Amino acid sequence: MVLVDIRETKSVKASDIFLQIRPGKDFEVITILRALVKEQPVDESQVQETGLTLEQLQDFVDRMKKAKFGVFFFGMGLSMTRGKHMNSAALLTLAAELNAFTKFVAMPMRGHGNVTGADVIMRWQTGYPFAIQFGRGYPRYNPGEFSTVDLLVRGDVDAALILGADPGATMPQPAIDHLARIPTICLDPKVTHTSRLSRVHITTAATGISAPGTGYRMDEVPLPLRPALKSPYPTDEQVVRRIHEAVLKKPDWLQQGNRMALNQV
Amino acid sequence: MSLNIVNNATCTFCGCVCDDIELHADEERIIEAKKACVLGKAWFLNHTAERLYPEALIDGKEATVDEAVEFAAELLDAATTPLVYGMSNITCEAQREAVGLAERLGGVVDSHTSL
Ligand code: SF4
Repeated sequence: MVLVDIRETKSVKASDIFLQIRPGKDFEVITILRALVKEQPVDESQVQETGLTLEQLQDFVDRMKKAKFGVFFFGMGLSMTRGKHMNSAALLTLAAELNAFTKFVAMPMRGHGNVTGADVIMRWQTGYPFAIQFGRGYPRYNPGEFSTVDLLVRGDVDAALILGADPGATMPQPAIDHLARIPTICLDPKVTHTSRLSRVHITTAATGISAPGTGYRMDEVPLPLRPALKSPYPTDEQVVRRIHEAVLKKPDWLQQGNRMALNQV
Repeated sequence: MSLNIVNNATCTFCGCVCDDIELHADEERIIEAKKACVLGKAWFLNHTAERLYPEALIDGKEATVDEAVEFAAELLDAATTPLVYGMSNITCEAQREAVGLAERLGGVVDSHTSL
């Protein structure tokens, strides 16, 4: 196992090789690796900037090419530091390019239970995994523009429905402030920080404990949930469906918009 | 009191989603979660079937689910760009409903993946 990080963590003990890179140089490291994979010349001064030597990087590339099946596991240290989505995109490209030599995949490390399921479900329904905007009547995907923290910090949304999350406890303060400003609706088994800044809170059964359904494991294997308890509360699924049904009784904004456009012609 | 034993229960606390947990539960709470890690044990033992919270709150005051659903629909429908966010600690079935709702609202849908 090769571990890449900006500092020595507890995982170093479990790894065979530890590559300590300079903070904020993820994109540069990945781009140099991509060049080496394709046997392109790389600039010595650019290698120095990363905190690694050319020998270390070349050795890493050789090992990756020799592997029968390689996996990149990546976390928020890559996707939330300088470069953000571009870092993730670069790593995915490196994994794709390595497939010219051997089998290689990239897999995000997941903190929360069924966040993989969220990716899978959104991909199935819209074609995209997250950060999807339906404002034109069809899905558009653009992390950075339609991702939650960016939307909230810029104040681009004017209502929020929060499901199975507690952004009121975890997000940057400007994002939380905006959630408190706009009407927020929160579904959770407990009254959370987010519930307290919401206009509506609905208590729901706890996923997998008293609410049945399906959850995806990090490697995209769907697993049935086997609840051991019966909750006095409805499930998230039931409540969201009821909200959806209540919204469906109201006039459809998209058809109204189309009619208005037609009348103008 | 009868003890309900669930074999191969699934833990959804973290992304590993272990599916070999043995749960021992009575009517109200899970007493034991065999084979779960420390985090998983805490997750299973912390959630009970008790009625600890009001079924719904509107502006901090207790309300019925019916009222809350109706009011939530009004707020979301009135918004130009509502956001549906989170989706990590809910089932795929609930996620499917949420994406459908976001589409109808002409809003945004996003998960923890964007973090
Ligand atoms: S038992 Fe532990 S490792 Fe397994 S899913 Fe639950 S929290 Fe994660």
